[in-house]
Amino acid sequence: MELELTWIIVALLIILALGLSFSIGANDETPAPLAAVGIIKFSSVLMLGGFGLGFGIIFFSRGVASMVGEGILGPGITYSIWMLLSVLISTIIWLIVGSFMGIPLSSTHSLVGSIFGVVIVFSLFSGGIDPLTAFNNENMLRVVFSWFWSPLLGLLITLIIYKILERSYLSRLKGLNQIEKSERMFSITLIIAVFFANIWVGANSAEALGILYALYVNESLTIEGYYFYVVLCAISAFFGLYIAGRYVLRNLAGQLTEARPSDGVVIQISSSIILMICTIIYNVPISHSHLIVFCIIAMNIAQKKDVDYRGLGRMAIYWILTFPIAAIGAGIVYWILGASLGVM
Amino acid sequence: MKSNSFEPPIKKELEKKSPDELTILFMDRIYQQNLKLIEGIEYLIDEDFENFEINLKYVIKTKTEVEIKKTFEAKLWKKRTVFAKADRLKVFGKINDIKNIGEFMANRLLLYKVVFPDEKFKLRIKNILKSLKIICGNLSEAVKLIGSDLVKAYDICEIVKDERRKMRKEEFELLQRLYNYSMDYLSRTFLYLKNMIEDIMMMADHIKHFSEYIQFLATKYLIFK
Repeated sequence: MELELTWIIVALLIILALGLSFSIGANDETPAPLAAVGIIKFSSVLMLGGFGLGFGIIFFSRGVASMVGEGILGPGITYSIWMLLSVLISTIIWLIVGSFMGIPLSSTHSLVGSIFGVVIVFSLFSGGIDPLTAFNNENMLRVVFSWFWSPLLGLLITLIIYKILERSYLSRLKGLNQIEKSERMFSITLIIAVFFANIWVGANSAEALGILYALYVNESLTIEGYYFYVVLCAISAFFGLYIAGRYVLRNLAGQLTEARPSDGVVIQISSSIILMICTIIYNVPISHSHLIVFCIIAMNIAQKKDVDYRGLGRMAIYWILTFPIAAIGAGIVYWILGASLGVM
Repeated sequence: MKSNSFEPPIKKELEKKSPDELTILFMDRIYQQNLKLIEGIEYLIDEDFENFEINLKYVIKTKTEVEIKKTFEAKLWKKRTVFAKADRLKVFGKINDIKNIGEFMANRLLLYKVVFPDEKFKLRIKNILKSLKIICGNLSEAVKLIGSDLVKAYDICEIVKDERRKMRKEEFELLQRLYNYSMDYLSRTFLYLKNMIEDIMMMADHIKHFSEYIQFLATKYLIFK
């Protein structure tokens, strides 16, 4: 009976992980500038973005997944299926509440915050583990610090790339014919840039893969099983973008038709560089939305356009609040689950 | 084929041209028609009613630019990339508006054959027409430069705006003169002359707004170090 329940929960976790992958694709805004320039058909944009996501998930996600699924935990601690269930329930509730309240939330911050809350409750109530050693503090700090330096580095890199491009090339264009020709070239470059960016968005999307990796670490899944579900997550993300993401993208693309493809290329390249550094070198999951916002701010600063500092301040507040709220929420969920089912 | 020729270009030849080349060709046609209109009004001032009628009827009847417009719109419609597409279309639309205003003016001017009150009035009208000719020419030059040099186009538009400011001053002096003649203010002559001055200024105002739009395009698309 207990074994049956365990398998039901594992199956539920896998379904939720696949659902999360679908939502990663559905909320991916990376291909929006490419859809806006109209150089290739909209369906081709969706395919390209989806393939990029899938490719990144299959081939480059292992490092970030292992950081979320194992690396941030202290020695001797592994996730139980109930801990993972609490993390996912709390993350999903917080993201849904955020969506209804119109608060821009990072799913990465929510997930890591939830993990923090669950592990703290686990350490307090399950067998005398010191909360101070419940985490691999070095890795945890690396993850949290990356949420601060990654957007700032994104801002800096965008500024540098744009300024170089502006001084060496863009400021030399005189007439609309020349500008159109140049922007057409950038539109073609944007195809590659978007594909490249989507690879790293997929690779860095730790939400689903971290859960799967944790299931592999606690031996609920074999390594073959883990990779099988990673491929399924990649397919799920692809369909998420292709089926549900089209509405977000069409809406965004409609607002970006006046935008210069060269701006899009600079933003995509800058964000890709940061995501690649975070994924390959540091194995840390970061918020892609925050990164993109800072890259756009950098473009506005470089082009001497207005920056919405009020909106930015609002975002910063939610940014800071997400982690503790998700942690408290997940801790409560885990405590209720543990107390009612006696599994803590 | 010369771009300022009045012969209708062959459709096949038009299809070979880029949207920018079609815009330049279209602008040329409309500029030539404007010159005919201004020349027609000059004939009216000189009381050469025959040539006045010929010129103004020409402005109303010529439809050579319709084919250019159709080809341009078809080309732009098929163009996949959307960058600057809306602005290209707007520029073309604004050129077309000049043609519409010209036609409207010609139709109104043909309603009656007016005799001008005195030589001073004639001279002032000629001055306004001279300025109109200058701003038409400058605008045509600026439109042609949109594709190749927006900085130059911007500077030319500044000249257009200055000249139009002079015209405004001239317009009020002319109206003041007109209102101070001892004549029946509901007479056909009075109404005709008043409408004529206002129509000329309507054309000048449109050209000024068009120039401002070209300056907006320069600000939008040019990136300075």
